[in-house]
Amino acid sequence: MNKYNIMLLCASPRRKGTSAMLLERVRNLTGGDVVFLPQKDSLEEFAMTMKQAETIVISGPCYINTYPARLIELLETASRSGGFSGQKLYGIINGGMPYIHTHRHGLTTLQLFAEQNHLSWQGGFVLGGGAMLDGKPLENHMSRKKVVPAFNQFIRHIAEGSSSLDSLYEQAQTPPGRFVTRIFSKFLTSMVLKNLKKHGHDPNAPNWYLRQQG
Amino acid sequence: MTAVIISDNRVGNWSRTLREAVLHTGTHVVRFTVNKLDIRPCTACSSCSGKTYGRCVIQDDMQKVLPKIAACRALVLISPVIFGGVSHHIKKVMDRMCALGDPRYYMNNGELVKGMSGQTMNYYMVGVGDKLSEAERSAFFALHKENRIIMNVEGSAFILDSRTDNVSIEAIAKEIAHV
Ligand SMILES: Cc1cc2nc3c(=O)[nH]c(=O)nc-3n(C[C@H](O)[C@H](O)[C@H](O)COP(=O)(O)O)c2cc1C
Repeated sequence: MNKYNIMLLCASPRRKGTSAMLLERVRNLTGGDVVFLPQKDSLEEFAMTMKQAETIVISGPCYINTYPARLIELLETASRSGGFSGQKLYGIINGGMPYIHTHRHGLTTLQLFAEQNHLSWQGGFVLGGGAMLDGKPLENHMSRKKVVPAFNQFIRHIAEGSSSLDSLYEQAQTPPGRFVTRIFSKFLTSMVLKNLKKHGHDPNAPNWYLRQQG
Repeated sequence: MTAVIISDNRVGNWSRTLREAVLHTGTHVVRFTVNKLDIRPCTACSSCSGKTYGRCVIQDDMQKVLPKIAACRALVLISPVIFGGVSHHIKKVMDRMCALGDPRYYMNNGELVKGMSGQTMNYYMVGVGDKLSEAERSAFFALHKENRIIMNVEGSAFILDSRTDNVSIEAIAKEIAHV
């Protein structure tokens, strides 16, 4: 079996974050190595290694409602040089907000990339509430009872080479109601404020760049 | 009123055309073409929401762009439509804009949202592409809609192609200028 038969690609600059944790979970069943998307220099060579894989699993964080710029750069680079031949592509995106709609654009991007470049899109998994995990095992997720079995099922799809439906992750996560949301927002904000206070910042002050302009 | 136009040079002349149309409304325009700038990807160091609140610590050309965005009333991102989203050049700017975000959480329509720090800008995305599929178009608009929610801002998204005429450009410019 060639080294890159399955490529487990982590698209987060954080090597011990939630994207990496989820990939590690995939790796436990599928084998292979987790590779980290280089954050510097040209991605030409890296894009070539993608083409040697039979299956590619991309896991990354949600930045402003889709994958980070560096992954988009990889997709653009790989698309320019072409040469895919039916590779199976799976995607995982996790974001802080406990919703699916906020993050799902990332998977749409991967699907369109696959369709336009002769890869075979096999579906993905959107995980909300991923920031609170901060790399800790999925068993700590707020919807662990449904999310853990759903993600395990997703991993089985990857191992079997079968496609995974959106309903798998959609049914595993229900958005918190108003009451819980209010508590979340109060709690998370208090953490943010504590952190700002620790560093001596006033959250209500005008932005630093505006203060420089007078 | 200042509009900041940030474009990827692969959109052809649309950036200049739109700039002229917005200038025509009497609006001040600051324009950046990102491909020529040295803008590195966000490293998720979280300094901008803690230690150096409101300021990005990466010393590159984004330090010239961030003050302009912080002070603008309209931000316009012009990008080729790539896989239903924006180009990586434009996305780098979006990711790095987090330094201008309010790290606190708010509620809107029963959902957790964030917002911009003391910012009242409108947010526009202009996608350029011919023969885009319905899936690409709807993904582009969906991205803008989600961005609007998470940043808690107003604004619209547009898609231009080779059939777009001056009348449409003027209408877009008027919408951008009317903050
Ligand atoms: C620049 C940047 C932008 C982000 N934008 C969003 C966002 O739009 N929505 C969201 O829910 N989380 C957002 N997050 C939070 C990350 O998605 C979240 O922390 C995620 O769990 C990080 O995954 P990782 O540990 O694999 O890096 C953002 C984080 C960064 C650094």
